[in-house]
Amino acid sequence: MKLLLTILTVLCLSTGIMAQRTVSGTVTSTDGDPLIGVNVLVKGTTSGTVTDLDGKYTVNVPDQAVLEFSYTGYTSQEVAVAGQSVVDITLEEGIALGEVVVTALGIEREKSSLTYAQQSVDGTELLEARDINFLNSLSGKAAGVEIRKSSSGPGGSTRVVLRGDKSLNGNSDPLFVIDGIPMANNRSGQPGMWGGFDGGDGMSQINPDDIESITILRGSNAAALYGSQGANGVVLITTKEGKEGPAKVSVSTGITFENIMLKPSLQFKYGSEGGTKESWSSTPGNYDSGYVDDFFQTGLNQINSVSISGGTARTKAYFSFGNVNARGITPQNTYNRYNVTFKQSTKMLNDKLTIGSNVLLTNELGRNRPAAGYYLNPLTGLYFFPRDRDFQSFRDNYSVLDPDRNVVGQNWFVIDHHQSNPYWLLNEQPRTDQTNRMIGSVTLDYQISDKLTVSARGNYDFASKLREQRFTSGGNTTNVHPNGSWDYHKFTDELIYTDALLNYNDNFGDFSLGLIAGTSYQKSVYGLGVSVDGDANNGLLYPNEFYFQNLPTNVQVQSTLSSRLIKQAVFANATIGFKDMLFVDFSGRNDWASSLAGTGNESYFYPSVGATAILSKIFTMPEAITFAKVRYSSTRVGNEVPYNVVNPQNTINAAGSVNRNTQQPFENLKPEIITSNEIGTNWRFFDDRFGVDFTYYNTVSTDQFINLPAPSGSGYTRYYVNAGKIINKGIEMVVDVTPIYTPKVLWTTSFNFWTNDNEVVEMHPDLASISTGESEGFGSRFEAGGSIGDIFVYKFQRDAQGRIILDGNDGRPLKTAMQELAGNLNPDWSLGWNNNFKFGKLGVNFIVNGKFGGVAFSQTESMLDGAGVSQRTADARDAGGVSVNAVQNDVAVSSVDPELWFRAIGDRNGIGEPYVYDRTNVRLTQFSLSYQTNLFNNSPTTFSLVGQNLFFLYLEAPFDPELAMSTNRNATSLDNFNTPATRTIGFNINVNF
Amino acid sequence: MKKITILKYLCVLSLFVGCTENFDEINVNPYQISDESLRQDNNHVGAYFPTMLNNIFGDQIEHNLANESFTRHLGTPTPFVGGVNNTTYYIRWNTYWNRVYGQIMAPVRQVLEIAEAENNEVFAAWAKLLRVLSTSRLSAYHGPIIYSNYGSTDKTILYDSEQTLYNTWFAELDEIVDALTRNQDFGGMSNFDDSFQGDVGAWIKLANSIRLQLAMRLSKVDPALAKTQGEKAISDAGGLISAVDDNFYIKNYDGFFRPARICFGWGDTRMSATMESVLGGYEDPRVSKYFDPATDNTLYPDHPDFPYKGIRNGAELVAKDDRLAYSTIASAFQTWPARRCFTSSETHFLLAEAALRGWNTPMSAQEHYETGVRESFAEWGAGGVDAYLQKDESYLPLNYDDPKASGDVNDFVSRIEVPVRWDEADDNEVKLEKIMTQKWIAAVHNTIEIWVDHRRTGYPKLPYNYKNDSNADWGVIPDDDFLRRMPFVNGERNNNPDGVADATQKLGGPDEIGTRLWWDTGGPNFP
Repeated sequence: MKLLLTILTVLCLSTGIMAQRTVSGTVTSTDGDPLIGVNVLVKGTTSGTVTDLDGKYTVNVPDQAVLEFSYTGYTSQEVAVAGQSVVDITLEEGIALGEVVVTALGIEREKSSLTYAQQSVDGTELLEARDINFLNSLSGKAAGVEIRKSSSGPGGSTRVVLRGDKSLNGNSDPLFVIDGIPMANNRSGQPGMWGGFDGGDGMSQINPDDIESITILRGSNAAALYGSQGANGVVLITTKEGKEGPAKVSVSTGITFENIMLKPSLQFKYGSEGGTKESWSSTPGNYDSGYVDDFFQTGLNQINSVSISGGTARTKAYFSFGNVNARGITPQNTYNRYNVTFKQSTKMLNDKLTIGSNVLLTNELGRNRPAAGYYLNPLTGLYFFPRDRDFQSFRDNYSVLDPDRNVVGQNWFVIDHHQSNPYWLLNEQPRTDQTNRMIGSVTLDYQISDKLTVSARGNYDFASKLREQRFTSGGNTTNVHPNGSWDYHKFTDELIYTDALLNYNDNFGDFSLGLIAGTSYQKSVYGLGVSVDGDANNGLLYPNEFYFQNLPTNVQVQSTLSSRLIKQAVFANATIGFKDMLFVDFSGRNDWASSLAGTGNESYFYPSVGATAILSKIFTMPEAITFAKVRYSSTRVGNEVPYNVVNPQNTINAAGSVNRNTQQPFENLKPEIITSNEIGTNWRFFDDRFGVDFTYYNTVSTDQFINLPAPSGSGYTRYYVNAGKIINKGIEMVVDVTPIYTPKVLWTTSFNFWTNDNEVVEMHPDLASISTGESEGFGSRFEAGGSIGDIFVYKFQRDAQGRIILDGNDGRPLKTAMQELAGNLNPDWSLGWNNNFKFGKLGVNFIVNGKFGGVAFSQTESMLDGAGVSQRTADARDAGGVSVNAVQNDVAVSSVDPELWFRAIGDRNGIGEPYVYDRTNVRLTQFSLSYQTNLFNNSPTTFSLVGQNLFFLYLEAPFDPELAMSTNRNATSLDNFNTPATRTIGFNINVNF
Repeated sequence: MKKITILKYLCVLSLFVGCTENFDEINVNPYQISDESLRQDNNHVGAYFPTMLNNIFGDQIEHNLANESFTRHLGTPTPFVGGVNNTTYYIRWNTYWNRVYGQIMAPVRQVLEIAEAENNEVFAAWAKLLRVLSTSRLSAYHGPIIYSNYGSTDKTILYDSEQTLYNTWFAELDEIVDALTRNQDFGGMSNFDDSFQGDVGAWIKLANSIRLQLAMRLSKVDPALAKTQGEKAISDAGGLISAVDDNFYIKNYDGFFRPARICFGWGDTRMSATMESVLGGYEDPRVSKYFDPATDNTLYPDHPDFPYKGIRNGAELVAKDDRLAYSTIASAFQTWPARRCFTSSETHFLLAEAALRGWNTPMSAQEHYETGVRESFAEWGAGGVDAYLQKDESYLPLNYDDPKASGDVNDFVSRIEVPVRWDEADDNEVKLEKIMTQKWIAAVHNTIEIWVDHRRTGYPKLPYNYKNDSNADWGVIPDDDFLRRMPFVNGERNNNPDGVADATQKLGGPDEIGTRLWWDTGGPNFP
């Protein structure tokens, strides 16, 4: 910190003494007409102005400043002030064809020459909402990007899927890349139906303020150069770097408040009878109704960051410090993060050699992240609590002394595996997850000639992680040992990446040639460490002492290694251009993967090809069309299989004996293959004020790696095959419009529309289905002919007239013999609508996100109904029965006793049909109001009011279907006592000087 | 500098070419143990045994919600799956099969491959003995099972008929006893044997005792074979498990006693109503060894001096909490080190029945009966056995009232009318009922064989299910009868349908829960 302050002081002083001057001028078109509303920006800053109705501007700048003039539909220009006080400029009409974008491996290419879809999001857009995990801010800002935020509060993980699930047996996570180099995005444990906790992911550790921009390569087409790990698409993160010019300091500080926006509707009118744990009395009472609301608190996020950057023509540097202090909406849940980033680059040897380095340090500490699912979740006990009992006494006295043992245990009214005293869980089972991470990279670029460059890079991404939970003795007997249990996992994740690239560019008459050849080496070692599993069977020797010495012999201290993989590759890419109007792209890659060792398939090759035609250059277009292009690309990507399945060995179990390996060694293992085709077109109209980008894709995944039960007599219990086929196809469309463009008022709006259709064409004859989350009453699973995310529930038995059939004796509704398909948990289509308004110094931004079609399932509602604590059950008791269109012994029935009805349809084994909801929802995802003015050193200072997840414009389900219980493939859009959805409102100040 | 850069590039490139040799090593988990490493200390054979022994017994759904309920030893307070489940004769769980094949049959096959290749006949015999033990227990659930065709890679794997199974087991027991007898001094088992610390002679006693047990199962269906095999077991020089020191216990390899976890950890099992009835009526001193008193003293107004309350098997249950205050199993089981699998009391009850059946036995039926009771008392450290053996008709099992259910719901009138005291003047049927009733009491936490006995002899006269949810799905059980078997498992029905169809032929009846197994003839107990 001391160092940081020193640097800050020095830089402040140095900026303070820079000479300032006023520059004015006129901006005209080539026809000599004044251009109104041209952006005039001091390069490397956010300060600047726009031209008035006469095309005139005045701006206060340092002596050495460079002015950037940009105007929609015109080619931008840069002019050095160099002591002048009048700078007049003529801008040329025409779209900036030279726009350069970052593609795979950090290679910069002309955007117009790309043969595949990609979309970029500017770093400042990610900061508007001040989300702790920047991935959540991507929602709705790019087409084809499905974002599911974990329901686990601050620092939680995020699920990102580009163009649908492509694998039968695992996640379809994209690859995350920082400045061209792959990074680890390991997700810690995830909750399931039976409980558990989210432990964050690798991306939640990145400081959003360090991000310059994000580019999303949705298809595997774009990712051919990253190999199999890019098969599910790539998210390229470009971090900020120092810019030539005087040192600049940027300070941001913000605070946001988080409140529940949606929680289950509970009744507090009817209590229990006869001491049951369910509240099924039919006599109304006057009971405490405030303890559920009182349980939750206002969440608070404080986000601060400071960055200092600057540079000379040769050397540039960027330094930042970021800090997040947050508390969640459940008591005892806190999250703290500290980030330090230092990035620099230096040119040497007549500017031919560039040496760069980038170091990102993170310290992250989460405490008591909220649970989901049945077990050890405070929300079950909180919601179920019988209304006639006194909650206050259990809150104030959550523990009770067992005099025989002189040990305290939880004080709760029932022994039930589903519920515990919520305050006991919060206070007596402290959970910690801590990450210390360093990502360090070095880059060397050497320009051999104008046409030939060679570069080499190395990166080391290392994280040391601790996940620990201390279960005090006397907790829930299903999960906690009478002496207490200790769950301890300490491990490191390590990713080493190096590559070398040769880049050659040349022109031959009308033809241009770009060649890239390279080789890469990557080694990942994940989950290397030590662990102790704490549960009801794995207890402590002496109560409540949590360290290794106190483990009895039946509790194993385990050496762990979750994955170890080496991948080597050589690859090449050639782009041939003709007159800057036609481009053809070829690439090929050969991988060697250690996880296929011994199969004879460890080396595998895959190619891709693509083509682009810029129609607006080939044909003469009407004036309204500024730019038009069509593109096509086709890619095959191999996907290596998991670690240690070729030749698994035997394990030593807790009893000290050996569990023999019963998985058949898989020696014919092949890589999974994903073949992707996409076709797209970009059109821009009316001086670039209206644009459309359209893509159709078709992705086929084959040779999936499937684990099957072996026949009883075979001597093995599991075996593996390559089989199966999944097809994902869809449409993505991005439309951007600038309806208002004047010096004082600006409105830009964009629509991101996408749809994905997933079909599991075939699996394996011996495999009926794969489960992605289930309980007794429902199953999320997929079968051949279905889609990933299909959900099956028991439905009502109905007669020919559609009437619900009641049991002939007791009158309860009957359920179907089998679970039946009730829909898919993914939306049919999605739409993001992003708006930016500028009224002089005021800015307004809002995003509306809509998800249409698909279903969501709430096990919570089913459980609450079964226990008689939902408002629905009280309404039914008030009304004297549940109104139904039913039939019993051929006699029509219009009303059923509420307890009989809800006990039959609710709880774990009930009838899932009423708990399947249309998942369509439309919400105001983000709203920000900002005021920007030039203060210190004539640099911009911005005050903003920010809001996130503000309200639903439309919602059918009783919970937020976009909030994920788990951010792996399982249990998406399933609610089982998830932490309720929250609304965030706060403010932020950004000062530059 | 240019040269250096290019050199570096070449270095990087050369690093990649030809360095995939360590891939095999990279792709192997260093924290798993290889077959090669296991050869040290004979672990490559021996290390299988603790895992196999640990899987002789199953867990909650395999026993507690199956035979422990069918034999009315323990009752559940939990209305699982809406109260319609195995305990009410509607099959929800049927997984003991998977445990036996995954954890016993597969490793036995691997042990035999190694042991036979290395001429290690003791380990081979030991593995076969565990296989006979566990598969004879599995066959008591289903009848025909996959045995001689195990390991076949054919699409259809045929089951063995029960007749074939018993003949095979007797033949294998011959080999096992011969091999063990030849190697009485072998010391190599001790590292892996927590039951007898490598004492080969003790395992011979177990083998002989299992032969006696299996022979008795056939006493009605094939009396001649039963007598031959039974007398062979009795006369073998290796002897039987006949005193407490011979008892075969299986260590809790998991670190806990499974029924205690079900009872105390999950709150899913309690004393049965029948145990309350029988132990209360006989004033059996073992009750405090088996169970704890109920924690709510309003539960037993009908017998205030006997502070225990059990749950009716196949009861009408509403809420789990209703009966959590009923008697748990004894708290001592929470730290109990091992589970009883074959004990001296069982041997003496077998011998008592053998004597009734005219087999050549060491002592008379009465002496074996009384010794069986004494051995059981000794095993549990219970006092007062002499007085107990004299209890006459004034001490008979109690009628049962369920205080948490209204009216007659879950109540029953005891059908057991025999006292503890032996009367040589009784006819064989009464004597057999006494033997079976005492054998039932002694069999706590090891109830597969008394489930066999109950189906075979009809004793003890247990109460029927109060709630009978059996229907055409799994077969119908009349209200005055008991579940007779478990169906073949779904995995087999789906993946080996022709094998199951053939097995159903061998079963001699539909694959339903009411179909009697081979030895369950339904005929008279004595000719």
